[in-house]
Amino acid sequence: MIELIVSLIAITLQTSTPLLLASIGECIVERGGILNLGIEGAMLIGAFTGFIGAYFTKNLLIGLLSSIIGGIIIVLIFGFLVIKMNLDQVISALAINLLSYGICIYFFRMIFSQGSFPYLSELFSPIPIPFLSEIPIIGAILFNQTIFVYIALIIIPILHYLMFKTRYGLSLRAIGENPSIAYRLGINVSEIRYIALIIEGALVGMAGGAICLSMFNVFDTRITAAKGFIAVSIVILGRWNPIGVLGGALLFGFAEALSLWVGTLIIGPISASISQLLSILPYLVTIIALLIGGRKAKGPASLGASFSRE
Amino acid sequence: MSSQIPSFFSNDIVLHVEGIRKVYPNGVIANDNVTLSVFKGEIHAILGENGAGKTTLVNIIAGCIKPDAGEIYVNGKKVNIDNPRTATKLGIGVVHQHFILIPALTVIENIALSLDSGFKLDLNKVREKILQISSLLNLKIDLNARIEELPVGLRQRVEILRVLCQNANILILDEPTSVLTPIEVEEFFRILRNLKEKGCSIILITHKVKEALSISDRITIMRKGKVIKTLTPKETNEEELTLLIIGEKQNSEFISLTEGNNKNKEILLLVNNLNVKGDRGELSVKNVSFSLYSGEILGIAGVAGNGQKELIEALTGLRKPESGTIIIRGENVINKKPKSLIKKGMAYIPEDRIGRGVILTMSIAENAILKIFEENPFSNKTIMNRNSITDYTQKLMKKFGIIAPNPNIEVRALSGGNIQRLIIARELSYNAKILIAENPTAGLDVRATDFTHRMLLDLRSKGMGILLVSADLDELLKLSDRILVMYNGKIMKEFNRNEYDIYKIARLMLGIEV
Repeated sequence: MIELIVSLIAITLQTSTPLLLASIGECIVERGGILNLGIEGAMLIGAFTGFIGAYFTKNLLIGLLSSIIGGIIIVLIFGFLVIKMNLDQVISALAINLLSYGICIYFFRMIFSQGSFPYLSELFSPIPIPFLSEIPIIGAILFNQTIFVYIALIIIPILHYLMFKTRYGLSLRAIGENPSIAYRLGINVSEIRYIALIIEGALVGMAGGAICLSMFNVFDTRITAAKGFIAVSIVILGRWNPIGVLGGALLFGFAEALSLWVGTLIIGPISASISQLLSILPYLVTIIALLIGGRKAKGPASLGASFSRE
Repeated sequence: MSSQIPSFFSNDIVLHVEGIRKVYPNGVIANDNVTLSVFKGEIHAILGENGAGKTTLVNIIAGCIKPDAGEIYVNGKKVNIDNPRTATKLGIGVVHQHFILIPALTVIENIALSLDSGFKLDLNKVREKILQISSLLNLKIDLNARIEELPVGLRQRVEILRVLCQNANILILDEPTSVLTPIEVEEFFRILRNLKEKGCSIILITHKVKEALSISDRITIMRKGKVIKTLTPKETNEEELTLLIIGEKQNSEFISLTEGNNKNKEILLLVNNLNVKGDRGELSVKNVSFSLYSGEILGIAGVAGNGQKELIEALTGLRKPESGTIIIRGENVINKKPKSLIKKGMAYIPEDRIGRGVILTMSIAENAILKIFEENPFSNKTIMNRNSITDYTQKLMKKFGIIAPNPNIEVRALSGGNIQRLIIARELSYNAKILIAENPTAGLDVRATDFTHRMLLDLRSKGMGILLVSADLDELLKLSDRILVMYNGKIMKEFNRNEYDIYKIARLMLGIEV
């Protein structure tokens, strides 16, 4: 029984990781007043570039790097639309999601011939941390994970510090509350927002990479399965705070882990349809959690609003 | 006009602007050859109506707006102030009319935002600096309070502290007293005198003549973008200044209130033990009871943020009260929607004209019929009748003096005063018996204010019951038959017209007297 719980928690950490990376990235840009609903697309691009990078070089680290770069590029395109061109954030995000989907389908078909079934021969394997992984129970949960889990866990305190203990963070939060006041105070609104977007792009791209390079060894345009959108709701649940976001991501990760785990228990002719049904669980949790925890959430005052000088 | 300036390179002149001109894209000449200089350690008032170009001048000096022509000299050196940062570096600190504070952040964070320091946010260093300055000037403030928790007077104090922390020695204050109560104004003037003694130069932008006379060393009058004259308080007086400000207009245009004489009064609105919660769940209106009679103006005095907003929202059906009754002509209308309140004869002039009063992107005509568009002849059941709407609006524009080329102009092209006239016109378009007027003259110039006051008095004489909620005590004293003082969500006291005592009211407003 204990073993079962341990493995369930360990899976939770793994399934939480893409959500955590993406939502913490979203958290930082939303603190700066930008609502990036395009992270679903950015995550998909990250998964795609990560897969391509790893497939052709046979090197997972290069795959990781290319997922980061892919994520940054697509998020920066979004940033260009909403910051430089001052377009509506929701509409731009919609365009980015469609664009990302299109890019992935087009290049995937172009690179791999119809009917071929490319896959990676290896995935990022868990890296046990010496000594720590030997600790009973906790060791297996916390210290025998893939590189993505470690990065996600380390990034939280770093971004928390950035957000609340640095001038950059203060400026970012001020922009999220009221960009025109921030501008009048001499804060470089665009620059600070671009920096936040680059951080988000890297994290979201990495989230896509985590899916392709540590969970599945294939690429498919359905692979992100709306995790980007779930990440957006995690940010609301986590009250735009990295630590809250951690809690939210774990909750959703657990829902997903649970649905995977229950799915394996059922055998027989109906097992397929039951596990299909179970896979709605994370999305159901999204709605319920928002109903319970998201009602009184008050985000940055200027979230999603457009801003232009003058 | 510039000939009176002693010398460009005089040590005494800290700021000199020469020939400033600014024409806005819509053709309005906001500043026309503006020249003036400010001495070291003086309080220099710039006096003028709304639209005289005062704020534009401030924004040019602050680096927020680029002038079309003209030069600025600071301490004898010609400077090019192309953004707010440059102004700050030159020692120019501006306290704008609309504060540039982030409500969700604390006092200390707000001040830290505008101070230069490294990557790490060292709030302790900022705190030290603030305390050093605030103790020098005897300005007390809770540095860890969030701005949204502070009353307006204290927010202003934060603004002043901020510019002082940036080492400003030329302070520009844009309409600083418009948000303060009389007692707060006294305290504020004490701070200004204190700053002056420390060698600061202060430019005080105001449209209040009395204020300029009482505090400043010199007064510059602006009208329609031009500098009319610079005077010292000793060589002038209220009447002369008023005349200089408004130009050739006769004084007879301005009114004074006659005592109300209304018989057979009827209770229009009866509020009983009303409790209303604010945005953050706190009880903002506490057990408020009052009645509003026909043919009277009932004033509600109070510093902004003491429950007036929530009270008004409850009365107009915009906010759900916790408990209590609101009775209009015998019927309890609590929890009724705005539409049925409108049908019951309630009209509302909101303070937030842009956000609540009009729809900026719709035309004057469309805005004018917003409350009556379902009625004949403006529409049958489905189709709007353009012609009758246009005719109606044209008449309305004439009657209320709304100046615009035609009724199909978008409202966003109108000035604040014209928008207010439009709102009043619309609110009177149906047979309302009760009018709730929320700071109806905030931000309006002398003429538009006067128009609004006349309108209110006219309605009062026609038997309307008017609830006038205002932060401007002078306005309340001038117009109201009775005044209720609101503090911390409660009605502190009721004053009849013959009992008015400005200092007593002010003390109640500030909670000094209970």
